[in-house]
Amino acid sequence: MTDFAIPRVGAREKVTGTARFGADRTPGGCAYAMPVVATAGKGRITRLDTTQATAVPGVLLVLSHLDDLGIVPAGSLMRGGYAFQSLQPLLDDRIAYRGQPIALVVADTLVAATEAAALVRAEYDEEPIAVELGAAGTETQEAALADVVAGDADGEYERSPLRIDETYETGPQHQVPMELIGGVVEWHGDTVMVHEGTQTVGALRGGLARQLGIDPAQVRVISPYVGGAFGQKNALQPHLAPLAVAARRLGRPVKLVLPRAHTFHAASFRPLSRHRVRLGADRSGRLLAAIHEVDQQDSRHDLLPATYTELTSRLYDIRNFRGRQRHVRTDTQSPGFMRAPFEHPAAFALESAIDELAVATGRDPVELRLANDARTDPVTGKPFSSRHLADCLRRGAELFGWAQRRPDPCSMQEADGTLVGWGVAVGAYPSKTVPIQARLTADADGRVLLEVGGHEMGQGITTALVAAVAGDLGIAPDSVAVAVGDTARVPHHLTPGAWGTNSTMPAVHAALLRLRERLGAAPDGPVDVAASVKQAGGDDVVTEAVTQAPGQPPEMADRMRTGLAAPTGPEYPGFVSFSFIAHFAEVRVEPVTRRIRVPRVVSVADCGRVASPVTADAQVRGGVVWGIGAALHEHSEVDPRYGGFVNSDLADYVIPVNADVGTIEVDIIGEPDFALNPMGVKSLGEVALVGVAPAIANAVFHATGRRVRRLPILVEDVL
Amino acid sequence: MTGPTAFTVNGQPVRLDLDPRESLLDVLRERLALTGSKKGCDHGQCGACTVHLDGRRVVSCLTPAIQVHGRSVTTIEGVSGVGGLHPLQEAFVDNDALQCGYCTPGQVMSGLACIAEGHTGDDDQIREYMSGNLCRCGAYTGILAAVRQTAALREE
Repeated sequence: MTDFAIPRVGAREKVTGTARFGADRTPGGCAYAMPVVATAGKGRITRLDTTQATAVPGVLLVLSHLDDLGIVPAGSLMRGGYAFQSLQPLLDDRIAYRGQPIALVVADTLVAATEAAALVRAEYDEEPIAVELGAAGTETQEAALADVVAGDADGEYERSPLRIDETYETGPQHQVPMELIGGVVEWHGDTVMVHEGTQTVGALRGGLARQLGIDPAQVRVISPYVGGAFGQKNALQPHLAPLAVAARRLGRPVKLVLPRAHTFHAASFRPLSRHRVRLGADRSGRLLAAIHEVDQQDSRHDLLPATYTELTSRLYDIRNFRGRQRHVRTDTQSPGFMRAPFEHPAAFALESAIDELAVATGRDPVELRLANDARTDPVTGKPFSSRHLADCLRRGAELFGWAQRRPDPCSMQEADGTLVGWGVAVGAYPSKTVPIQARLTADADGRVLLEVGGHEMGQGITTALVAAVAGDLGIAPDSVAVAVGDTARVPHHLTPGAWGTNSTMPAVHAALLRLRERLGAAPDGPVDVAASVKQAGGDDVVTEAVTQAPGQPPEMADRMRTGLAAPTGPEYPGFVSFSFIAHFAEVRVEPVTRRIRVPRVVSVADCGRVASPVTADAQVRGGVVWGIGAALHEHSEVDPRYGGFVNSDLADYVIPVNADVGTIEVDIIGEPDFALNPMGVKSLGEVALVGVAPAIANAVFHATGRRVRRLPILVEDVL
Repeated sequence: MTGPTAFTVNGQPVRLDLDPRESLLDVLRERLALTGSKKGCDHGQCGACTVHLDGRRVVSCLTPAIQVHGRSVTTIEGVSGVGGLHPLQEAFVDNDALQCGYCTPGQVMSGLACIAEGHTGDDDQIREYMSGNLCRCGAYTGILAAVRQTAALREE
């Protein structure tokens, strides 16, 4: 197989504005919807007055709990359902969180819908709320699942000559992809068409069918381009079923684009998590024990299974480990997945603590990490499918010029008083594999169409798949087309950023082998597709394959077909599997303002074989930008008096801009991982972020001598 | 509460009866089917809706459409030549200055303006003058390279 470095597929459409996103169509007769959201933090709606709203010229209908929408909840993604949370608004008078939808106005024009939505009046019987960890009224409960335990962590910790015991905190944060939530819903007879940016057309189809009580075959969801997602669009959201009801009642297509402020409550978010980390080590810094205890924010109505300790127990060779993950119920919508959902916070906690251990032992932070590298999984004793973290560290140190680092904090000042700091941290992310169906159609003109259950959110899955098919058959990339995000083609599993490529690759590989058989071609080497198809005697040759994770039971493919989630990993029969990364960051703290800048980052990843060099590089760069945001900017603010997230727009929820980003140097080890799959591909999209924030925090310590244990790090932390 | 508004979009004359509350962005997208300009915030905070008004960049979501009466609007749809991509669009492809592509039309429109304004003296200046356009995928280093490369072509 040839590795093709092809340009990003779809780039031309994107730079010309011709790529069509969910809301980029306005069918004839299209009406416009605008939600109304609760201004109470919790309680009951005692009065809902829509008189003024319905009087606005052009208003067609106002849906609310006063109306029987005829829909049922779709169930939570985490409990065998389809939606980001179990709660479906608009079905009763209960308000669980500020920002929960209480009505949906539909009008002939967006102007009328917006005007009318502002005129819906609600009165509430309000109840006390708790939106912060530790607030009165929160409920704390132990995790439902048994946590990671290996050896005798508490005993070893107590006996360790060196002990670190600190608490770290991150979040809450929001994904804020640039594309707003929403799309267009249109009925054709008994069939409903949904155009919406999503990571899971299958869940939208299955969930909407369940909510409306119709056959999933009557729902088609189309999402060829997604304007970023990062976990926000990994499930059915509660706007869709009411929108479909409105479109059916009106007999017209309806478009909904949520205001940016609404998106902070209309989908999931990264919950706040507080981490107590205890490390026990000998005097040289050799880790003897670790205890990682996490309190994670949750909603009242759902629990997000937490897997922070999955990462912390595997990052180093720690033989005695104990994790404990608790859930703290607060009055919010249900938190969920945001890029490296548990791994980013866990790495911030552990990698900060490791840096504190390096300081305590006087050892170089890179050397300390190398000395504690794991050869086999310390939890199960199984081998890793592949692990090149030490190579990432060594290569990164070399590219960064780490040898020039002076070890003492505040020791690298510039003449103008600028404080320079260099920090390092590592990350890992489990290799999850999901069932995938792929169909290849080769035609007599030599073209090959791949239809596969994946989604293109910008991570580059279509580029990697075009490269895979073209490379395998030895044909030009422009004779390969890849179709993703359409329920009419093949069933689709949910595509989180990091599971897509490594899960779809095996299915494509299997379908390619069958195609070669059907075409009478050898198992490898170039294929004259046009000639072989003609010889096979038809206009085209079609092959299909469904692949699953190693050891995954066949029922999981049935789950995939109905739009339910079916992941396996990191534990497979005989091995565990993770991607790894090492990040090196330089920070500069300005002398007067104490503003923290990140002029350069070097990142070296171990993601198995690189499926697409161009988009892989971009994934790592993007992860680094996210890490800069997480370390220095992003924080969703809550007001304990009113609830909800208050900085709910892009001016106040601060994400990095171009001027916040300096140079980013990316290198990838590129050793194929054939234990995980026949293509040798591990995941990359999420591991890219893991460890960036602690590398920056550790650099801030090196620059200033200030250990900041809560993200984001603000100017006032280093004054 | 509507009034006739006449302007040109990408050189084509347009005449519409508009509500004074309609933004230029919504008019472009919903009435004129020019959906290359994107809505990312509707508050002038993200730059995804950037267009050129009489040659200057504006965020179309904060521009009341009636205000463009008698003026000339250029959107991303008006940037490519008949024969192919504008050099800046080529540079975006060559430097992989995009991922999901949602912010890209706005980035290109800002990039063109940044070059025309002469704000491409060095990398820091480009970064600063491209900072009104958010990219959540984090393609900033590619965007910088694309604008730098295209500005250099102009100087040659």
